[in-house]
Amino acid sequence: MKRIYFVCLLLSLTVLPGCVDEVDIEDISLSLMVGIDLDEDNRLVISSSSPVFNKEAEEKEENTSVIAITPEQSEGEFDATITALSSRGKVQMLLIGKRVFQHKDWFNILDTIYRNGQNTTLSRVVLVDGAVEELMKFKPKDKPRLPVYLLKLIDTAHEQNLTVKTSLQELHRQFWEKGESPTVTELKKDGEVTITGTSILNRDGLYKLSLDLDETKWLRILQNETDGEFSFTIQLPEQPSSGLFQKNRMSFFPNATKVKVKTSFADDKFIFNYGIDMRIVVTERLFRYDIMKKEAELEKEIQKELEKKIEQLVKKVQRAKVDPFGLGLYARAYEYPHWKQVQDNWEDTFSKAEVHAKVKVKILSMGSTK
Amino acid sequence: MKKYAANQITFLQFVFILHGSQVGTGIFALPRILAEKAGTDGWISVILAWCCNLIASVVIIKVFKKYPNDTLPDLLIRLFGKIVGRILILPIIVYFAFMVWNILIATMLYVKGWFLPMTPDYVVMILLIVPGYLVASKGARVLGRYSELVFYMTIWLFLILIFAIKDSHWIHLLPIVKEGWLPIFQGVAATIYPFLGFEILFVIYPFLQKKHLAVRGVVLANTITLAIHLGITLISFAFFSPDGITEYNEPVFNLLKVIEFHFIERFDMVFLALYLFVVTTCWLPYAFGAILSTEIWLGKKNSQAIAAILVVFIILLILLTHPSWNESNKWTQIINQAGIGFAYLFPFLLYIYVGIYNRFQRSESK
Repeated sequence: MKRIYFVCLLLSLTVLPGCVDEVDIEDISLSLMVGIDLDEDNRLVISSSSPVFNKEAEEKEENTSVIAITPEQSEGEFDATITALSSRGKVQMLLIGKRVFQHKDWFNILDTIYRNGQNTTLSRVVLVDGAVEELMKFKPKDKPRLPVYLLKLIDTAHEQNLTVKTSLQELHRQFWEKGESPTVTELKKDGEVTITGTSILNRDGLYKLSLDLDETKWLRILQNETDGEFSFTIQLPEQPSSGLFQKNRMSFFPNATKVKVKTSFADDKFIFNYGIDMRIVVTERLFRYDIMKKEAELEKEIQKELEKKIEQLVKKVQRAKVDPFGLGLYARAYEYPHWKQVQDNWEDTFSKAEVHAKVKVKILSMGSTK
Repeated sequence: MKKYAANQITFLQFVFILHGSQVGTGIFALPRILAEKAGTDGWISVILAWCCNLIASVVIIKVFKKYPNDTLPDLLIRLFGKIVGRILILPIIVYFAFMVWNILIATMLYVKGWFLPMTPDYVVMILLIVPGYLVASKGARVLGRYSELVFYMTIWLFLILIFAIKDSHWIHLLPIVKEGWLPIFQGVAATIYPFLGFEILFVIYPFLQKKHLAVRGVVLANTITLAIHLGITLISFAFFSPDGITEYNEPVFNLLKVIEFHFIERFDMVFLALYLFVVTTCWLPYAFGAILSTEIWLGKKNSQAIAAILVVFIILLILLTHPSWNESNKWTQIINQAGIGFAYLFPFLLYIYVGIYNRFQRSESK
């Protein structure tokens, strides 16, 4: 009896049509980079770049662009032009043209990425200042294939905190989070491909302002993301300076950075007090100074300079009515009743909030020369 | 007479059957359901639910302490006689069988959604259910061994989620008790489904060798489940924005997608494939419960045939209905309601009834 059941069940497996989802790897074209842009007539242009694994092909990359209505619909158009079935499971980078960011709610077109389980959400999101299609067709002679090259470029720049690294998953968080404005990597093709810093969007997805490489470092610190390496070069106005090679410059990197935020609410305003503790190692100093004797004074000078930089950045950001630091999270955590009233227009509220920063610098080491 | 002496299970097997039946497909949506009801305070609901589970489990054990060799169907026949008892067993069989159906449908839909979108549903179901049949038809000891083995093999899967912590913002959890306690209690009620499973105690208790360890076993099993549920909830709450978490149907899937290693990029696929083992330890105890109850109802021992009928019935039902996501969610809600009654209220009623019944009998025998 037992045997019969078992054999029957096994037999039933043999008549099954089998898994229908089988796809041979030769039939897949793995898209490593996807570009989204608008052309002059504001039509959506989707480009895709996938590596070609074929000895006969002269180019290493297969680049295609189509005019589409939605990204998912474009996939069909791609399948009609490229060699194999396009797959978006391995997309490393999503390049979005700056023109897209000038239209409200563009984020909706990314819906398929989050809805379709086969898509990856780890692709890095990049704002391209210029035409995306042009960048995707760029073939630098002295560099590896473009997707690999761009990937390395962004990842290493992020390690140095020269830009943010926003994955699609992270972008989704930033878009839904009421207390933070989305930030993405900014890229420009000007002969060479260069990272120009970080673009800040507002909660509607509109492009608001760009931070350069130096400001991005401060953005990262104020976001309390102190991983990776930082390196600062500052100008100390109190030190003597003359000639072409300004001598009042010095560079250092923080060995450890601690960021604390105190949140309070008074006079209808949110008040955020940053306390930033930095232990620094001096790596360059163009002026003569006796650190052994006058360490405290130099520390104070540096502190003043850094506080000034932070103040400038905060002002700039508040003027643009965005909150890339995510201070709304602190407002929610520590001033919940007040936050609840303003949560739906946090960016406006933030532009009126007071943000102060106190930097404490300790020189750990002055390097090997005096 | 010790009816189930031949098929006794050890303490650890008992623990892992209980724990296994609690952790299944429910955890994927758990953080979202909690966030919808209680916001980021949902994790407190998890702890409260754990307390409720413990209380209900202890009551079940107290009821059966006086009848150590009875399963719930046996007890019903003993208390109410053959005819009324049998009528009362019917909803229990339906409950267990429906639970099996619901877990399997959810699993089938997950597999279809993430791996095999074009494969027909009944094929996926046959592939899922046939290996399970071999375990379910064999009785408590095989089930216990299987649950224990799968637990040791898969417990590391949950630890993988710790890798998501590096991108998380723990500040989301503050302030604790944002909106008062009411939403937190609502969160408990809405999340019965992921916590259900301990009611399998009704049928596996008589198989436990050392009955004096039952309470300890229940506490241990529920605490392992609590650790997993609480861990997943907290990590999800810290990872997703409190405003955005409700946008995901199954936040845990999206959480898994983020975890990548140098040697493997889409780890979620590996996780989900291995997680199918965890899911089997969830529906197999219910299948066992349904088969055992049917045996008692029929008064005949023939678990193989009953198991085969259950399997064929489920596959036929799939061919007829082709269930969808929304239907599966609706069934989950029905189970949620039924579970409140069966797992939380029924033990208390039974306890009171048994107490009165015993006093009545004692005075009669005097």
